[in-house]
Amino acid sequence: MVLLPHRPALSPPAGLVARLAAVRPGVGMGAAIGACLPGGVLPVGALHEVGPEDGAEVQQGAVVAGFAARLLARLPQGAGGPLPWLWVAGREDLYAPGLVALGLDPGRLVLACAPDDAATLAAMEAGLRGGAFAAVVAEAGRLSRIAARRLQLACLRHGRMGLVLHRWPYGRAAHAVEEAPSAVTRWRIGGVPSAGPFAPPRWRLALVHARGGVPGEWIVEAGERDAADPVRVVAELADPAAAAQRRGVG
Amino acid sequence: MWLPNWPILRLRRSGAASADVPAATVTSERGQRRLACVCPLAAEAGLRVGQALAEARALVPELEVHEATPEEDDAALARLAEWATRFTPLAAADTPEGLWLDIAGCGHLHGGEEGLCAAIARRLAEVGFPARLAVAGASGAAWALARFASGKAECVLPAGQERAALEGLPIGLLRLDDRSVAALRRVGIRTIGALARLPRGEVSARFGPVPVLRLEQAFGLAEEPIAWPMPVRPWEEIRRFAEPIAAPEDLTRALAWLAGRLARRLEQEGLGARRFVARFSRVDGVVPAIGIATARPVRDGAYVLKLLAGKLETVDPGFGVEMVALAAEARGPLSAAQAALDGKPDTAADLAATLDTLIARLGEGALWRPAPMGSHVPERAVGRAGPMTEVAWPAQLPDRPLRLFTPPEPIDATAPVPDDPPLLFRWRGRVHRIRAATGPERIGAEWWRRTPDPTRPLHDFIRDYYRVEDQQGGRFWVFRIGLVGAPRWFVHGVFG
Repeated sequence: MVLLPHRPALSPPAGLVARLAAVRPGVGMGAAIGACLPGGVLPVGALHEVGPEDGAEVQQGAVVAGFAARLLARLPQGAGGPLPWLWVAGREDLYAPGLVALGLDPGRLVLACAPDDAATLAAMEAGLRGGAFAAVVAEAGRLSRIAARRLQLACLRHGRMGLVLHRWPYGRAAHAVEEAPSAVTRWRIGGVPSAGPFAPPRWRLALVHARGGVPGEWIVEAGERDAADPVRVVAELADPAAAAQRRGVG
Repeated sequence: MWLPNWPILRLRRSGAASADVPAATVTSERGQRRLACVCPLAAEAGLRVGQALAEARALVPELEVHEATPEEDDAALARLAEWATRFTPLAAADTPEGLWLDIAGCGHLHGGEEGLCAAIARRLAEVGFPARLAVAGASGAAWALARFASGKAECVLPAGQERAALEGLPIGLLRLDDRSVAALRRVGIRTIGALARLPRGEVSARFGPVPVLRLEQAFGLAEEPIAWPMPVRPWEEIRRFAEPIAAPEDLTRALAWLAGRLARRLEQEGLGARRFVARFSRVDGVVPAIGIATARPVRDGAYVLKLLAGKLETVDPGFGVEMVALAAEARGPLSAAQAALDGKPDTAADLAATLDTLIARLGEGALWRPAPMGSHVPERAVGRAGPMTEVAWPAQLPDRPLRLFTPPEPIDATAPVPDDPPLLFRWRGRVHRIRAATGPERIGAEWWRRTPDPTRPLHDFIRDYYRVEDQQGGRFWVFRIGLVGAPRWFVHGVFG
């Protein structure tokens, strides 16, 4: 367990975020979350990990998938027009009509079924290398450091976003996520009670690790379908670095 | 199956010979014209095979004479065998005037072996080929019974009775050449039974191995090799090796050679294929095969080789591979490629190439695009389209979960009144206390379909869906079946 020294979260000067976003394409995450990310955006040519909190979500992977879908729907379009997305998983329970409400066009989604984690990640790499997909999502339990490194290189070389969603089979406990990740960012998301019966759903979103950034933790809410940011921050939970130290994650 | 006087039958069918005049075919034998085949009318008039043509003409002045063409007769017989594959997959020509049909397991389609025989005979008679059929457990027995003159035109021999049935038949029905038959007759062996009663060793010593072999084939004691014609595989390239090969580099080189040849052939026809199958015939008779499938028709040899090479490591060459074959399946038109004039990258080609790599890795059915289906029942609302297909989804849909469980999972739910959403439910060992719920959304069965279980009333298939949120913030899609009596609750999905 490595504890990083406390780094104060500096808020970047006004306009810098926008200028950085122009040179470095990425998914805008809003001001509060963007302040923890280098460049203020979630970079496109990079590998990102999203993991669930404890509970049934570890096996269901619905919240994690929802977060990924909201990110995909806001990817900046390249020169070649709208490219399809690839979603590789071991289970076939992703329900396409549920994606429509999140702003994702299921017609652009190519689904793939792989027998195990190794095949899932290998297929993800093949999908990234072709450059034919705007982004590749893989549902896998364990992501070894070597695999993460290969995937990160493939993302970087082809300028495509890779998302690894941690999800474990039913009846199996989650393994500890490996330390010292090779992914550029690692997120953790779990449900929290929403404001009321018809209120949008809320989650606790934690940026556990960001290369060149600082960790953070927020309570976020689903935005409008065509909002610019995937989530809207409702409350900042704590001083991000202090929160990270409290959890013992660097 | 016996087609007596096949050459003349064939000529009459083709219109070259008239039906009501005695006819015969002639062949030149040692400078003399002799009859090779005589029709029943001519046989009645006293003609027989082997007679000199001049003598026959003197006996039957109106005799119609045709030149014998054995090659054409055999070719026509092979075509008839191909026609007979509608009755059984194994049909072969038995030159000069018969067919072998292996009808094991085919009889039930025509109401038993008798029915099958009758059907074949009827179809043949319709086109003017009176045939004699016999079914027996041994090839020799069937041959003899079909040709036994006083037998029925269709004859089915029960299994194991070959010996009893053939006992009294003349020795000439044993498929022996004329000299052997004459030799056997000279020593007084006139029936098959008489030959069967002799010690086999003595028969072999005196008449050679053929009579014993034919006898055993007639009694079902010896196997008979019949050359069943195999269906042609026109889009297949084959390479045989004088010495078996085993090294992966050699196999790759062989595949490259085959893929190049296949690509040239496909290009000439303006075709591409979406599936390529490589078969490796090993010296020990095992034929491992690998296959690839592509999203669009392709024919580029190097590309096909690249995809196949990824699977080559799964091929165990054993003690060596004698023959490599590469077949192109699922062919479709593919015009010559032309680069876009505006220099834009061809995203569709990129996508097809990436998909091909993925299909080669994961299998052909493992990639798809979700496609909307015309059904309001959640589990039927999504179908699968090919990964290259453009699918149009509506921009607005009712709120649906992100994960759908098929089938829905039963839960223990507690609801205060039957018509209310549950207060808490237990699922997979966890208790979920509900703090907010919206609904119900009623989804009925599709009335235009048969109900899954006709003994149950239709309202058993009406579901009331609720969107519920538990105290941890997990949001579920649960539904209730049945209102009166004991309602049953299920969780059908989780929202993201």
